Amino acid sequence: MGALDGLATGFAVILTPANLYYCFLGSLVGTLVGVLPGIGPLAALALLLPVTFTLTPVAGLAMLAAIFYGAMYGGSTTSVLVNIPGEAASVVTTLDGHQLARQGRAGAALGIAALGSFIAGTASVVLLTFFAPALAAIAIRFGPPENFGLMVLGLVCTLYMITGSAVKGVLTIALGFLAAAAGIDVVNGRERFTFGSVDLTAGIELLAVVIGLFGVAEILANVEHLTRNTLVAERIRGLWPTAADWRASWMPILRGSGLGFLLGLVPGGGPVTAAFMSYAVERRIARDPSRFGKGAIEGVAGPESANNAAVGGSMIPLLSLGIPGNAVTALLLGALVIQGIQPGPLFMTQRPDLFWGVVASMYVGNVFLLVLNLPLVGLWVQLLRVPYRVLFPIVLLLSVVGTYSANKNVFDLWVMLGFGVAGYALRKLEYDLAPFVIAFVLAPLLEQSLRQALVMSPDGAMILVKRPVTAVLLVASAVLVGLMLRRKQRSEGGNA
Amino acid sequence: MAERALNVFWILLGAATAAHAWTIGLTGPSGPDSGLFPLIAGLIVAGAGAALLCLPSHRAAAPEWPRGAALARVLGVVAGLALMAGAIPYLGFAAASAVTMLVLLRTVERSSWIGSIALTVGTVAGVMWLFGHALGMPLPRGPWGW
Repeated sequence: MGALDGLATGFAVILTPANLYYCFLGSLVGTLVGVLPGIGPLAALALLLPVTFTLTPVAGLAMLAAIFYGAMYGGSTTSVLVNIPGEAASVVTTLDGHQLARQGRAGAALGIAALGSFIAGTASVVLLTFFAPALAAIAIRFGPPENFGLMVLGLVCTLYMITGSAVKGVLTIALGFLAAAAGIDVVNGRERFTFGSVDLTAGIELLAVVIGLFGVAEILANVEHLTRNTLVAERIRGLWPTAADWRASWMPILRGSGLGFLLGLVPGGGPVTAAFMSYAVERRIARDPSRFGKGAIEGVAGPESANNAAVGGSMIPLLSLGIPGNAVTALLLGALVIQGIQPGPLFMTQRPDLFWGVVASMYVGNVFLLVLNLPLVGLWVQLLRVPYRVLFPIVLLLSVVGTYSANKNVFDLWVMLGFGVAGYALRKLEYDLAPFVIAFVLAPLLEQSLRQALVMSPDGAMILVKRPVTAVLLVASAVLVGLMLRRKQRSEGGNA
Repeated sequence: MAERALNVFWILLGAATAAHAWTIGLTGPSGPDSGLFPLIAGLIVAGAGAALLCLPSHRAAAPEWPRGAALARVLGVVAGLALMAGAIPYLGFAAASAVTMLVLLRTVERSSWIGSIALTVGTVAGVMWLFGHALGMPLPRGPWGW
């Protein structure tokens, strides 16, 4: 099936009232999550994942994907109006977006953010439409050794991209593997690391881990520093950018789209890195870099476009290879597995309705989001009046329901609480927790691939060297590790 | 200090995991066994913990731990969640979450009694309706049937 035929199939699947409704609901929740500080897209996805159990896979996945890219749209509203990022990918938007709002140009900042997001989001889905099938066509020939090599490369890329200590990154990945090891061994059905507990037989619940690490930990961090939202603008005017704004923004939007898409493709990249990178690029190539941080519209247009484009990019390794590049796509992978769908290169040929349905939903979702974020921006402004101290008990309640509803087991609530406290403390100690979730989701697949590869090999581990694709992937991983060590040595040399 | 203690904990955790993985078995008749992968992960955890202990450059700059009212709020939320997890099997979701939310609103958020009760009743009823009724997810019931 060609890309255009596939897309036609996808639109036929998604353009039903029920699927459109869930796509719209995801866009709405995504914007809400983006607007409200303290609730990230990952926690929202985890909270709503149990809801998808009762939906068709297309409706469920379209809704979850819409939450992901919807949050990228909504995050700019809070950054511009309150100077607090609605979610991590909008941190950099506060620098110039809020300055524009203080100069009475909140409408222009919000308008260019929404339009840039729409252009970049749609462009990245167009690239996804043509790029993902091509990649899947190559990956379809992969066996267990190649899949193992791919996952190792994905994890090394994640490590390469994290901020802070690489040793802490390695440690969180290994901890993710350990946490995933508890329960029944997928290969031979033996129990391991259950210590006689019936509750651990099925393993540690993904939702409890994610809601704990990214929901409860976030609440704990926020209640520690309760702040009052101060809106800069009560009424938003002039949302449509002026000709001068367009002249200044169209190139940053294009550059942000390209950069964001490429960084989304790389495991460990994603919207946050894309937004920061785009800002750095715009500032570096600007004729007058001193304008940045004082209300340069390019400082909003570039990063907001980049973080949306990164979403489309990050869906490619997920949908065509079954490799999540960041914690949110790791959760989407978990959602596929829960629905009984085996992600990987065969996904597109085995479930074309689902693959193309999700791709088509992203075109539709971007249109929904433009409507939600331009004409309805006033609604979100009103929402920003709700103080966090009122919101957090509600989020806490939703966290409990979301965790409990996965297995109807109170034990999962204790797991959630444990991971919440651990996540809060580890963040204080500058641990990046996204690699933990990626490793936790990938571990069973990686272990299965490695063991299958070793079983099918007459020469033991030599199969990983004798298969050319696997060897190239592992060599690339080793090169990245080498580059990482060199970078570390240089930075230490520079500090000395 | 806290980070050093944590690094020692990583070493112990990694070593204990590796030792336990060894007892599970590393190789079987059909190749690698259930203990091999956890053994490797355990050794990495222990090794990374040791590296963090020896390399001060990898430590957090100056972690700010909560004190006073901030600490009370953080502990209040943790205690509230623990109370809820412990009470749900006995009181059901509605009663356990109502009690927890009321306590959190009164202690952490310091709302008025009327405001706290109104928000608690509204939120719990809303969540019960949304998840229990609209989305068809059975929530645990208390001895009184709701």
